[in-house]
Amino acid sequence: MTADPGASTVTTPPAPASSGASKLLIPFAIGAAVAVTLGVYGKVHEPTGIAVNIAGFSGPLTVKVWLASGAFALAIVQLVSALAIFGKLGVSARPWVNALHRWSGRAAFLLTVPVAIHCLYAVGFSAFDTRALVHSLLGCFFFGAFTVKMLILPKRGLPGWVLPVMGGLVFTALVGLWFSSSLWFFTTHGVKF
Amino acid sequence: MKHKGPVITLLAGLAVALVLLVVNVNATKRNQGGRDGAANVAADANATTPAAQPTTPPPTTAAAAPVKATFAGDVEGGGASLAIAVNNGTAIAYLCDGKRTEAWLQGTAADGKLNLTGKNGSLQGTFGSGEAIGTVTASGRTWGFALKTVKAPSGLYRSTANVRNATVVGGWIVLASGRQVGVLNVAGEPEPAPALNIPPGTSTGTANVDGTQITAVEVDGSQL
Repeated sequence: MTADPGASTVTTPPAPASSGASKLLIPFAIGAAVAVTLGVYGKVHEPTGIAVNIAGFSGPLTVKVWLASGAFALAIVQLVSALAIFGKLGVSARPWVNALHRWSGRAAFLLTVPVAIHCLYAVGFSAFDTRALVHSLLGCFFFGAFTVKMLILPKRGLPGWVLPVMGGLVFTALVGLWFSSSLWFFTTHGVKF
Repeated sequence: MKHKGPVITLLAGLAVALVLLVVNVNATKRNQGGRDGAANVAADANATTPAAQPTTPPPTTAAAAPVKATFAGDVEGGGASLAIAVNNGTAIAYLCDGKRTEAWLQGTAADGKLNLTGKNGSLQGTFGSGEAIGTVTASGRTWGFALKTVKAPSGLYRSTANVRNATVVGGWIVLASGRQVGVLNVAGEPEPAPALNIPPGTSTGTANVDGTQITAVEVDGSQL
């Protein structure tokens, strides 16, 4: 009844500090939740050993290997286009470089999703040797880091190092994933489809 | 629009993941509706034959046929080869490096899970969709493995014979490439196995041990 117009201003939360820290808090929290959820699901879910195959490949493993290799190749495109966008290549970036970076990133991400589903659903979080453990940890980390990268992209006023660092982490994780899976497959089983 | 792009990317990935998960869950249910939860191996063993692949565009096929499959390949690191023969709930595995290390393992293969033990080793893993994944321990060492199904004449062969009053047990893994890895155990002493000669279209092979011909039969996973 005695609504004081001034009272509403008291209840509004204080404006976030202009530093990037508060803007990063929620994306990082969500990203961490994604990584932990994947890890817990992979550990708790009973691996079925069953997954759908894609016609034309000899088995689910080869499908994964080639999807991951596609993502790996696109990740190289990501690195180069990111360097161009930040003017590290010595030439001013053409406008299409932005689109290239955006779409190659989307494609790379979409290629990794079926691989991750197969890993999580059919195999699970595994620690039977160093390669499997590293791969499992990197897999969880990759999707967490990618989530963070996506969520902070539209935010303005972040410190300049944030995006390159997050992009670098995502790239490094993907490269590590590729080395611990596809390269291992190629070197132990040979290059096959 | 530009601000929503990254979120849309994330949601698109999530949507793809959910669709794949549903497809996988359905595939699992279909397969488990078959026999003992691992009927997919037989289905996938068919799918891996090059001739059958193009004629079956749907990637998953469910078959209620008895589960009978042999997985073979090199273990992680390539230090040894491993073959696992699965037959309706039971499995026999043989790990060998072609020189001295070998282990015969026996156990169960039910609900997509492998659990085998032997005199000097053990094996745990999962199988299905044409692959077997897990770990194998023998002589105090542990290897990871990811094997694919193989078809005759590739597979697992075993021979028990008596040569000059010595019990000879031979084990051969014939890999998909045709390469043979085998160890001959002569009265408890392992040594590299002689080449196994497998006539085309048969599931038995012969080898020459000190002038005596021995016969090896394909192990189907039911019993040693």
